[in-house]
Amino acid sequence: MKSLQELAFKLLSEGTVKVVIGYEEGPRGVRPAFITDPAQTSKLIFDRRCTQNLATYLNPRRKHITALGKAAVVVKGCDARAVAGLIREQQITRDSLVIIAVRCGGVLEDPTSTAELTADTTSPRCGQCEVREPKLFDHLVGELPPAPPVNPRRSEQIAAIEKMTAADRMDYWNQHLDRCIRCHACREACPMCFCVECRAERALPQWVDPSPTSRANRAWTMMRVMHQAGRCVDCMECERACPEHIPLGLLARYVADSVEQRYGYKATEDPGVPAPLGVFRTDDGEEFIR
Amino acid sequence: MTHRFISHEKLSKLVADLVAANTRVIAPVHAHDDAEQIDYLPIQKLEDASLGVQLPRRSAKEFFLPTTEVILQYRCEKEGVKIEEVPSAAKPQVILGPSPCDVAGLEIVDKVMSWDYRDELWFGRREATTIVSLLCSMADATCFCTAVGLGPDSVRGSDAMLVPTAGGYVVRLITPKGEALFKNYVSDQVDALDARVDKAVAEARKRVEANMPAIPADFAASLERNFDHPLWKTMALRCHGCGACASVCPTCHCFDIVDEHDDSERGVRRRNWDSCQTARFTLHASGHNPRASQNERFRQRVEHKFSIYPSRFGEILCTGCGRCSRVCPGGMNLAEVVGEFRKLATAAPEGGAR
Repeated sequence: MKSLQELAFKLLSEGTVKVVIGYEEGPRGVRPAFITDPAQTSKLIFDRRCTQNLATYLNPRRKHITALGKAAVVVKGCDARAVAGLIREQQITRDSLVIIAVRCGGVLEDPTSTAELTADTTSPRCGQCEVREPKLFDHLVGELPPAPPVNPRRSEQIAAIEKMTAADRMDYWNQHLDRCIRCHACREACPMCFCVECRAERALPQWVDPSPTSRANRAWTMMRVMHQAGRCVDCMECERACPEHIPLGLLARYVADSVEQRYGYKATEDPGVPAPLGVFRTDDGEEFIR
Repeated sequence: MTHRFISHEKLSKLVADLVAANTRVIAPVHAHDDAEQIDYLPIQKLEDASLGVQLPRRSAKEFFLPTTEVILQYRCEKEGVKIEEVPSAAKPQVILGPSPCDVAGLEIVDKVMSWDYRDELWFGRREATTIVSLLCSMADATCFCTAVGLGPDSVRGSDAMLVPTAGGYVVRLITPKGEALFKNYVSDQVDALDARVDKAVAEARKRVEANMPAIPADFAASLERNFDHPLWKTMALRCHGCGACASVCPTCHCFDIVDEHDDSERGVRRRNWDSCQTARFTLHASGHNPRASQNERFRQRVEHKFSIYPSRFGEILCTGCGRCSRVCPGGMNLAEVVGEFRKLATAAPEGGAR
């Protein structure tokens, strides 16, 4: 990724940015990198293991990162949608950062894996990708690699769950959500979870019990997923972050599909497109209000 | 420590007899949601267990400190609040086949659980539990148990340890509890371990030792000296503050206490796992947070494990299992951080003394 490294070197040495948020080789696979010294830009890489959504690090509440100064961030097309979301929801301004977009040929689900991209190893989100050639950027680097193999796992699981009876669905989700320990890693890794005070942590009134009981785990997950409706960019970082391996990406995708069906809205790299639940439209079907 | 032999059949009978006697037997098994993962779960028969396959996702601490537990119930009555304590007597349980790092963690945490207050719930379960660990042959590039004074064959915290051999296991009987458990199931005094096992242990030990050399005694002092070192400003940038590390850790033991109302009159007080990695852990009611950013929170985790706990209890609050590094969505790596600060151990302090 010579062009990426050269660009980062230029941005840092000219003083355009103070930090480049990208990817590097870590002790266990690829991990996020925060490069502040131009001499360190040779560490930057981009390959099929770069699955993390670095837009999460642009959250203005991460003060130890904003303290570094203006950032350039390396994004895939999918991640660029999160950057657009943060701009749309007025968390950051477009001119407050430099966007380095990379053309993407799909990523592995697991950034510590050394596997090639196959129907088993590719992130299931890549199968529906329409943004391998990103549109939101200041700099676009790399050649467009061929499309990755489609991992059908998630769409098959969603189809199977749709066929279940309500009771079976409840059993399915209870089986997973009973493992939830309410660490909220899903929230912390999510680029779109940026609330100053999460509803899960309000004590007066207490919307959700803080303890990891079946009832509270269901309420927490339902609340988070619903709050992401029309906002989630389907990066699946919630699922990857979950230490209990709860398939949160299924819910994320299902909600995204529902929003598309109801409102004709898909997560987009255009920050000017209003969020479906953030606008009033007289032609809104309102078919759920009877 | 005496060595005996137990055949697979006899071990199977032991598990069956325990289950029949209403003793909960917990062992590593293939996870219900993912066949490639291992969890500690109750078993009904030995065949349910998958011993020595890989490190379970979570440590075994949840069988002593559950993710959530009711510590009292209350009812608001006209005369005032009526409190009902929950029973602290624990039911007998056997943990079969945990890795030595998970078992040692329990004994390390015992110290804080009996420090200013003896935690009845923790010790109730500790006393009601017999631990039969399994010699570890699962070490990978992320393990560093030997660096913290343990090892693949460490018997610390175990009542007995199984060492695989032809036709069954050599059982190392360590405590009277372990001897009582195996008394009617083992045969033949074994004088020495199978030479092949000795060799396997030596190899496993060597593999882990290559990951990290032993942490020197003065490391704690060096960490304290470098409390304000600029490295802390860059170490935790990629950390999300999610606390996944603490949830899988065999020695992280912090908990939160909350009251939950069932309705207007009744409620429960629970204790739940908590983690110093979350912003709310030290958030004051005033809005002030003494650990304002993730840099300080991450430093706290490292300091607590390698400096604060050693200075208070004389030992490192880490068993080198490596789970925190395996589970971290941000790619943080405890061994790497320890390595960076070890380099400073002999160097002069930067950024002033604490």
